[in-house]
Amino acid sequence: MKQHKTIPPALAQRFLLRFLRVDLAEEVLGDLDEKFYINVKTKSLFKAKINYWYQVFHYLRPFAIRKSESMYSTSCAMYKSYFKIGWRNLLKNKTYSLINIGGLSIGLACCIAIGLYIWDEFSYDRFHTRYRDIYRVVDQQVMGGDIFNIAATPGPLGSALTSDFPEVQQFCRVSRMRSAGILQHGESAVEPQELLVVDNTFFRVFDFKLIQGNGEKALREPNDVVITQSMAAKFFGPDWQSAGIIGKQIQFSDDRVLTLVAIAEDPPTNSHIQFDVLLSCRYDELNSPYYNWNSNNYHTYVLLDPNADAQALNSKLYKHLSKYISNTTDITLSLQALSDIYLYSDFDFQTDWSKTSDIVYVQIFLAVGLIVLLIAISNFVNLSTARATKRAKEVGVRKVIGALHKQLVSQFLSESLTLTSLSVCLALFLLQLLLPLLNSIASKSLHIPFQEPYFLFAIIGFTVTVSLMAGIYPAFHLSNFQPAKVLKGLFASRSGQLFRQTLVVGQFTFSVILIIGTIVIYKQLTFLQNKNLGFDKSRLLYVALKNDLPSKALLMKTDLQNQASIAGVSLASNNLIDVVRSTGAVEWEGKVSDDKILLTHMNVDYDFLSTTGMTLLTGRNISPSISSDTVSAYLVNETAAKRMGWNPTEALGKKLAMWGYKGEVIGVVKDFHFRPMTATIEPFLFRYWPRESCSGLFVRAKANQVQQVISAVEKIYKKYDAKSTPYYQFVDEGLQNQYRREQNTARIVSCFSVIAIVVSCLGLFGLATYTSEQRVKEIGIRKVLGASVSSIVRLLSQDFAKLVIIAILIASPIAWWSMNYWLQDFAYKINLEWWMFVLSGVAAIGIALLTVSLQTVKAAVINPAKNLGSE
Amino acid sequence: MKETRLGEFEEVILLLVGILGEGAYAFKIAEEFESQTGRSVSIGATHSTLDRLENKGFLKSEMGKATAERGGRRKRIFTITALGKRVLKESKDFKMALWEQYPAFAGKLNYGGVM
Repeated sequence: MKQHKTIPPALAQRFLLRFLRVDLAEEVLGDLDEKFYINVKTKSLFKAKINYWYQVFHYLRPFAIRKSESMYSTSCAMYKSYFKIGWRNLLKNKTYSLINIGGLSIGLACCIAIGLYIWDEFSYDRFHTRYRDIYRVVDQQVMGGDIFNIAATPGPLGSALTSDFPEVQQFCRVSRMRSAGILQHGESAVEPQELLVVDNTFFRVFDFKLIQGNGEKALREPNDVVITQSMAAKFFGPDWQSAGIIGKQIQFSDDRVLTLVAIAEDPPTNSHIQFDVLLSCRYDELNSPYYNWNSNNYHTYVLLDPNADAQALNSKLYKHLSKYISNTTDITLSLQALSDIYLYSDFDFQTDWSKTSDIVYVQIFLAVGLIVLLIAISNFVNLSTARATKRAKEVGVRKVIGALHKQLVSQFLSESLTLTSLSVCLALFLLQLLLPLLNSIASKSLHIPFQEPYFLFAIIGFTVTVSLMAGIYPAFHLSNFQPAKVLKGLFASRSGQLFRQTLVVGQFTFSVILIIGTIVIYKQLTFLQNKNLGFDKSRLLYVALKNDLPSKALLMKTDLQNQASIAGVSLASNNLIDVVRSTGAVEWEGKVSDDKILLTHMNVDYDFLSTTGMTLLTGRNISPSISSDTVSAYLVNETAAKRMGWNPTEALGKKLAMWGYKGEVIGVVKDFHFRPMTATIEPFLFRYWPRESCSGLFVRAKANQVQQVISAVEKIYKKYDAKSTPYYQFVDEGLQNQYRREQNTARIVSCFSVIAIVVSCLGLFGLATYTSEQRVKEIGIRKVLGASVSSIVRLLSQDFAKLVIIAILIASPIAWWSMNYWLQDFAYKINLEWWMFVLSGVAAIGIALLTVSLQTVKAAVINPAKNLGSE
Repeated sequence: MKETRLGEFEEVILLLVGILGEGAYAFKIAEEFESQTGRSVSIGATHSTLDRLENKGFLKSEMGKATAERGGRRKRIFTITALGKRVLKESKDFKMALWEQYPAFAGKLNYGGVM
C-alpha cells in the first residue's frame, strides 16, 4: 500500500478517469497535477495526496460527469440475480446464516467498541488548537543510583526558559493544592476537588473556555480566583449566570480573601488537566516557601513557536538547569509533548497529578479486539467454504451458461459484502444496547458518533475491508470449481479441509491465550490483595485532617480513644497508601562519603505500631515517657538497616541524622509495603516529632464495630471543624483502588475471552453440523453393522479434539511469554504455574467437545433406516 | 431562454479571468481566488463555474500550449468575451447606482467611516 514516490495517487486518478468526461481529462489531470506538486512542496506528501482525493471528489459535478452508457441495464439484472440467489441461500440454511451473521456481528461489535475506546484514549488534549506546540518540561533525577522521572519542576523555571530561549513564546505553570481548603461566600461553603494554581497565561496557552470574565486579565492578581460553571452552580445556585457574581469576595481557608474574576467552562473529560477552582500563581511567587529553584512543585508547560525545532530545544534543555542551580549534574530536563502526557506518563513520587492512562492497556485492548474480529472472520470463511459443496452445482451451471471466473468472484464477494453490511448494522445495534454496560466497566462515557462524517467513512471502510477479508478466499475457492466435474457429482467434499482445520486451530489458539491471560491476571490481582503487607489493613481507618485541624489532633485523639468501639488511635503524617515523602539528606554511622540513599519517612506517635499492627523486630518502640525520644529517636525498617550495612541487632544504637537532626536508631521494624506492588520495598524511617503537626489519624476499629467507629469519627470531626466534610478512608479500600486499572483490564479481558470462546464455538458448531451431514450415510452404515452411539460420537468428535489440542500446544508458549511480559511490571508477582495452562486447556477441550456433541449425538442417535432409505 | 444574471461567485471568477489574462485556467483561477478572498475553493467548483459562464457566453476558451510542469498536458485558457465585459460593467454600474441612493454613503464611497 505504501508508496513513497511523489506522484499523485494512482487510484484517485483511475477513479477520476472513470467518471470524467473524456474531453475534459487532459486539462483536469493537468490542473490537479499542478496543485498536487505545489502541495508536496509547501505541505507534505501525505497532505498533498489527501488534497488530491478531495479535488477528485469535487469533480463529481453534473457538468463534468460522463453521460452513462447503456450497458448498465444488463449488469443491473445480473446483480439482481446475484442478490436473489444470495438471499435464497441465506434463508435456506438458517443455522448457517444465523451463525455466520451472529458471530460476525458479535466480533464486529467488539471491534467497534474497542475502536471507540482507543479513539477516545487518543483524543486526549487534542482539543487545544495549538496542542502540537505545547510541551511539558519534565526532569529526570539520579538519586542513590536510581533514576527517577519527575513531572514537576521548580517554580522559577518557566520565566527563565522564556527569557533564555526565543522559541518559547509563553509558559504556564500548573500546580495542585493537595490539602485544599474550603471556599466560603456568605452562607455557602464548598470544598473544591481539584484545586489548581495556574499562571494567568492559562487561558491563552490552553483552550479552556471562559463563560464570564476576561481571560487576558484573569489571575494576574495574587488573590484572583476562577471557578468552573458546575462549581458556580454549587456555590451560587442554578441561576448564577444572571446573578452578577464576578467581582464577589470569597473567603478561602482562614487567611485569604479571593476575588472571583471569571467563570470557566468545565474542562472537557478528555483533558489531562482537570480543575474546578483555579488560583493565581502570583500568590505563590510572593508567599510560597516552595517557590524556589530547589523545590519541584509545578508542572511547567511551554508554548513554542510553530516553526521552532522541538528536538533541538530538547537537547539544549538537557543540562540547562545547571545555569540556575549548582551541583545539579544529576538533574536533566526534557520536553514531553502535550499529546503524549495522557498515555505515556510514568512519573515517580506522585509528581504527576494529572489524569493519565497507559499505552500498555491500549495495546492490550487493541490486541484483544483484533483477536475477536479474526476469530469471527475465520468462522465466516470456514462456514462459507464448508458450504461450498452445496453451491458447487450452482457454480457449475453458471459456468456452463457462460459466467466468467471474474463474474463469479464478484458474485461471491458481493454476497459477503451484503452479509457483512447486515452484520455491521446488527453490530451497531448491539453496541448501542451494550454501550452503557461497557461504559460502566471501563469508566468512560463513550457514545457512537453517528452524526460524524469521519465515523461513517470509517464504518464503510471497515465493512469493505472485513467483507474482503471474509469473502476473498471463499470467492476464489468456489469460482475455481470445474463445471464438468461438479455437475457429474465428482466433487471432493474434502476440498479446502486443511485450510478450515488451520483456521479452527488459529481460533482456538487465540481463545486459549485469552483464557490463560484471564486466569493469570485474576490470580495476580488476588495475590496483590491478599499479600501480607506487614501491617493489618482490616478495619483500619485513616482520617485526613484539613484546615486548622492538625493543631487540634491531640485533642481529637483523646476524644477518639474514649470511644468503646475503637481499639487504637495514632497520629501520623501520611496515609499508608503510596507514601512518597522522601529525602536524600541522610547521614549514618559508617556511611561511605558519596553513598546516597532515598529514605521515605513518616512522622508518627508512640501508638502507631500498635494501631497499625506492625511488628518490631529488635529494639523498643518510641516511648512517651522518655523525653529525648521526641528529638533523637528513629525507627527504621529492615531494608533501611540492611542498606546502611547493619543487621537488625547491630542497628540498635547506631547514629543516624535526617536533615541534619542527629539521633540514633532505637528499633527496627519488620518490612512492610508502603507503595503499590509495582515497587520494591525501600528504606523507611519513622520519627516522633510532636513539634511538627500531623495531618492524619489512624483509627483501628474493634471487630464488628466499624459502623460505630464511622459515626464516632464523624461526630468528633464535626466537633472540631463544623464547616468541612470529614474525609476518611478505609486503608484496605484505598489499597484496592491502587489497582483499579488492573481490575478494569481484568474485567474487560475476561469479557472478551468469553466472547472469543462463544464465537469460536459458534464456528465449531457450524462445522460439526456440516461434517455430520456429510457423513450421514457413513454413520448409518456403521450403525447397521453394530457400532454403538458412543463410538460414533467419539469418531466424530476426535477430529475436533485433535485440532483443539494442537491449538493448546501452540497457545501455551505464546501465553507464557506474553503474561511474563505483563508480570514484569510488578515487583511482587505470582509464578506462572503448569496448572493454569492445563486448566485452560481442559476448559477449551471441554467447551469444544460439548459444542460438537450437540451435533454429533444428534447424528449418532438417528435411526439408520432414515438415512439410508433415501437411496 | 439563456440565463444572464451573475451570481457573486460567478462575478468574482469572471473578474479573476480578466485579471489573470493569458494565465487564466481553472487551477490558476482557483489559486487566485483563494489568495484574494482567503476563502478556499476546490478546482472542481471553479471549473464548473467557468463551464457555466462559458455556456452563458461570458467566456470563451481554447486549449493552450503543452508545458513540461504538468506532464506535458495542455491547459484550457479562458478569456472574457465582449458580452462578458458588458455584463461585468452593467453589474458594477447597477451597484454604483444603488450606492448613490444610499443616503449615508451618497457621494463618499467610504467603508470604514460610518459603522
